[in-house]
Amino acid sequence: MLAPSVYLKGLEMLEKNMSSVLKSVSKPGRYVGGEYNSVKKNKDEVKCRFAFCFPDTYEIGMSNLGVRILYDVLNREKDIWCERVYAPWTDMREKMQEYSIPLTAQESGDAMKAFDMLAFSLQYEMCYTTALGMLRLAGLKLYASEREECDPVVIAGGPCVYNPEPFAEFFDLINVGEGEEVLVEICRLYIEMKENGSYTKSAFLRRASQIEGVYIPSLYEVEYNADGTIKEYKPKYPDTPKKIRKRIIEDMDKAPYPEKLVMPYIETVHDRIVLEVYRGCIRGCRFCQAGMVYRPIREKSPEVLCKQARCLFDNTGYDEISLISLSISDYSELPRLTDSLLEWTDEKRVSLSLPSLRIDSFSEELMQKVSSVRTGGITFAPEAGTQRLRDVINKNVTEEDLLRSVNIAYRGGKSNIKLYFMNGLPTETLEDIEGIAELAKRVVGQYFRMPKEERPKGVGVTVSVSCFVPKPHTPFQWEAQDSYEMLMNKQEHLKNAITDRRIRYTYHDAKVSVIEALLARGDRRLAPVLELLTNEGVTLEAWDENFDYDKWVSALDRAGVDMSFYTTRGFGLDEVLPWDIIDIGVTKAYLRRERDKAYEGKTTPSCAEQCSGCGANKLGGKNKWCR
Amino acid sequence: MVQVTPEKLFIRIKFRKTGRLQYISHLDLVRTMNKIVVRSGLPLWYTEGFNPKPKMVFAAPLSIGTESHFEFMDLRLTERVDTDLALERLNANMTDELVCTEAYYPESPFTALRWLKYEMELVTSGASEELAGKCNEALASEKMEILKKTKSGETVVDIKPLVHSATARFEDGKIKISAILSADPSSFLNPEYVVKLLRERCNVLSSSDLTSEHYSILRTEGYFFDMTLFR
Ligand code: SF4
Repeated sequence: MLAPSVYLKGLEMLEKNMSSVLKSVSKPGRYVGGEYNSVKKNKDEVKCRFAFCFPDTYEIGMSNLGVRILYDVLNREKDIWCERVYAPWTDMREKMQEYSIPLTAQESGDAMKAFDMLAFSLQYEMCYTTALGMLRLAGLKLYASEREECDPVVIAGGPCVYNPEPFAEFFDLINVGEGEEVLVEICRLYIEMKENGSYTKSAFLRRASQIEGVYIPSLYEVEYNADGTIKEYKPKYPDTPKKIRKRIIEDMDKAPYPEKLVMPYIETVHDRIVLEVYRGCIRGCRFCQAGMVYRPIREKSPEVLCKQARCLFDNTGYDEISLISLSISDYSELPRLTDSLLEWTDEKRVSLSLPSLRIDSFSEELMQKVSSVRTGGITFAPEAGTQRLRDVINKNVTEEDLLRSVNIAYRGGKSNIKLYFMNGLPTETLEDIEGIAELAKRVVGQYFRMPKEERPKGVGVTVSVSCFVPKPHTPFQWEAQDSYEMLMNKQEHLKNAITDRRIRYTYHDAKVSVIEALLARGDRRLAPVLELLTNEGVTLEAWDENFDYDKWVSALDRAGVDMSFYTTRGFGLDEVLPWDIIDIGVTKAYLRRERDKAYEGKTTPSCAEQCSGCGANKLGGKNKWCR
Repeated sequence: MVQVTPEKLFIRIKFRKTGRLQYISHLDLVRTMNKIVVRSGLPLWYTEGFNPKPKMVFAAPLSIGTESHFEFMDLRLTERVDTDLALERLNANMTDELVCTEAYYPESPFTALRWLKYEMELVTSGASEELAGKCNEALASEKMEILKKTKSGETVVDIKPLVHSATARFEDGKIKISAILSADPSSFLNPEYVVKLLRERCNVLSSSDLTSEHYSILRTEGYFFDMTLFR
C-alpha cells in the first residue's frame, strides 16, 4: 500500500515528467484527455466530484452509450462535476506501477482518490478484475469495509449488477437499473449531508438505501445452507429493503439525451453518433438477459429522435448515425424514423447504420436506405440449427425466413454471409449441432439456385458459434451449463459435420464462457477469488491475450471454491438464487412458466402480438404493449 | 506558383498543435480535422463515391511527440469565403491545444516547403556548458551517422545532408537545440533523429528512469528554397 504522499508526488510528476513515459507506451493519446466537448468546471464551485470509471481501454469506454448519457446528465447539474477514468493498457499500467503514477481522470488530471464518488460501469463479467485493478491503481483497498471514511464512495452500475453478488463486497453502493435519475439523487443526498454536517459514510449509505434502485451490500448478511446453497439474505435494519427494485426511466421522450459528445482524438470502436431508439425488447428469447432486464419496452418518438440526431450532428461532425436498441427492426416507427432522417442526412453526407437486424425483418427497402446494410457484411443470428431448438429458446424465426433473407442479400450483391449460433443450449442434442451444418449448407444452396448471371461473385458463409451461458433473470437461469469437455466435443462435432469448403467455421474457446457462467451465477463467496486474481495483476481479461484460464483454476482452488457448483450444476427451482435480492420487475413465476414452455417446445408470442404478463408493467413507463 | 482555378478552390489553414495534442498521431489528427471542418459549416467540397469525405491536404506530417506552431492544411471549398470568417468558424470548434492562426488562399504548393525549423529542449542529467559544447561538436561533424531501422534491419545513414544547420546551447539548466532540417517529402528528416544522434554520441538522456529525464521538440517555422518564410 502506497502512502498518500507518494500519490502527491505522482501528481506533480504527471505535469512535469510524464512525457518520457507517454512517449514509451502504445497509443499515448489514450491517456491525455483534453478532448473537444469534454466538461471542465471550477473545482471551487463544485460540491460533488464524480468519476465514471470504465474497466476497459479508452477506445472501448469512450464508445459506451450509458456512460455518454450519464456523463451528460450529471454535468447538467451545476454543482456536480462528472469526469472519466479508463483502465490503462498493460504497458502503461507497468509504468504506473514502476513510477507510482496514480490513475487519473481525463478532465482534471486529478487522481481517483480526490473524488467524492467513483462509479464503475460493469458491462461484462470479464471486466471485474479490471475494475478491481483500477481501485488498486487508485491506491484504494478492495473491500468496502476496509476503506477509510475519507475515501471516495465506490459505486457499481451497468448490466452486470443484475447479479451483483460476486463483486458486491467491493462496492459501497450499487445502482440497479437505469441511472439517469438515481445517480443525481445519490449526489444530492451526499451534498445535503455534507452541507448540514450529518455526513458519515455509514449514515449516508443507510439513507441512500431508501432510494429506489440503490443496493447497499453491507446492509445484508447472507446465510448459507449446509449444502452450500443460500439460506437467506438478512437485512440489517428494519428499514432496509428486502429486495431492490430496478429503476427505469418512464418517459423516454422526456429523458435527457446528450446534445454533445466528448470527441476522442484517437480512433475508438464506435466512433459515431449513437441514437438510442428504445429500451427493452418485445421478443422473449429465453437465453437473453438483456431482453428480460430492460423490460418494459419504452420507445422514443421519431420526432424526438430526429431532433436529437440533428443536434448531435451539428455538435460533433460525425458522418455516421447508428440506430441502436436490442432489436432495431422491432421499432414500431422505423420507416417514419429512417425517412425523416434521410431528409437531411444524404445532403450532409451522413450515413445510417443499423447494428442488429432480425432475420424476419430483412427487406430490399432496408438495404437501400441503410448504408451499413448497403455496404457492410450481412449477419443473421438463427442461434440454433433446428426448428425444434429454435422453439425451445423462443427465437421466433424459421428456416424460410432465413432463406428468404439470404436470397434478398444475394440479389443485393452480397456474397458473404455470417451466421451466429450458440451451442450448449438446454435440451441440445448432436442432431441440433448437425442442424447448424445443414442450415449453413442450405444457405450456400440458395446461391446456386439463382440464375448464374444474377449471382454475386464468390459465395462464402461464415458460421460463428459461441457457448451458452445461463444468465440470471432469464427463463434459463436455473439451467446447468455444459461442461467444458462437452462444449468442446460439440464444437468438434460441428467442425466434422461441416464439409463444404465454402463454409468457414469460427468458434470461441469455451474456457471464457465457463468463467462467464461462474461470474454470472456466482455469489459473495467468489470475492476472495477476484481478490486473489487482482493481487496477481490479472487485468483486461476481455482481451484474449490477457485471459488465462489456469490462473482462474488456481485461484478457485486456493480460495476453496468449487467451480462446478456455479457452472455445471442445475440450480434448484426452489433455491434462493444469489440474484433474488434484485427485482427486475419480471416475476420469477413468469420465468418459470417460460422455462416450462421451453421444455415443452412451445413458443411465446412477442409483446407486440400479445402480452404474456411478465410483470414488468408494474414498473410503469410510457409504453405501447404492456397490459 | 499554382494557379487557383475555380474548380479547385483550396483555402489554406495555418494551425498549432501543442501540449497534449503532441501525443495524437497524424492519422488521428486527420480524423479530428475532418469533424472540425464539418462542424464549422464552411462550404466543403466532398470526395465522390461510397464514402464521401471533405478534401483536406496536409503539409509535412508530425510524428508523435513533436509540437508545432507551423502546421498547414489545405481545405477544398465549393465557394470562396471570407478568410477571417473561416478562421473564426474553425476556431470555434477547436480546443486551445489545436488552434488556427491564419487562413488565406494559397499561392504556393506544399512541395515548395524545403526546410523546417525545430527548437528542442533536453532535460538531461549532466546538462552543462560543457555538455552543450560536446553536442555542438557532434552537430558540426563532417558525418552525422545514425542507425536507422528499416524493413530489412538496421542501416547506417548519414543525416548530414538533411541538416541545414543545428546548434546547441546551455540555458535554464537544459540543453537547447535549434535545428533547420529537410522538409522535402523525398528526404524528410524527423527531428527525433537529431535527438538520437546526441543520445548515441554525447550520452544525453541516458537514464533508465523515464521520469527523471525528458525532452520536447517544437516545430516553429518553415522556409522556401531561398530561406524565405513559407506560406
Ligand atoms: S408486461 Fe406484457 S407487454 Fe409488457 S413487457 Fe411484460 S410481457 Fe411484454
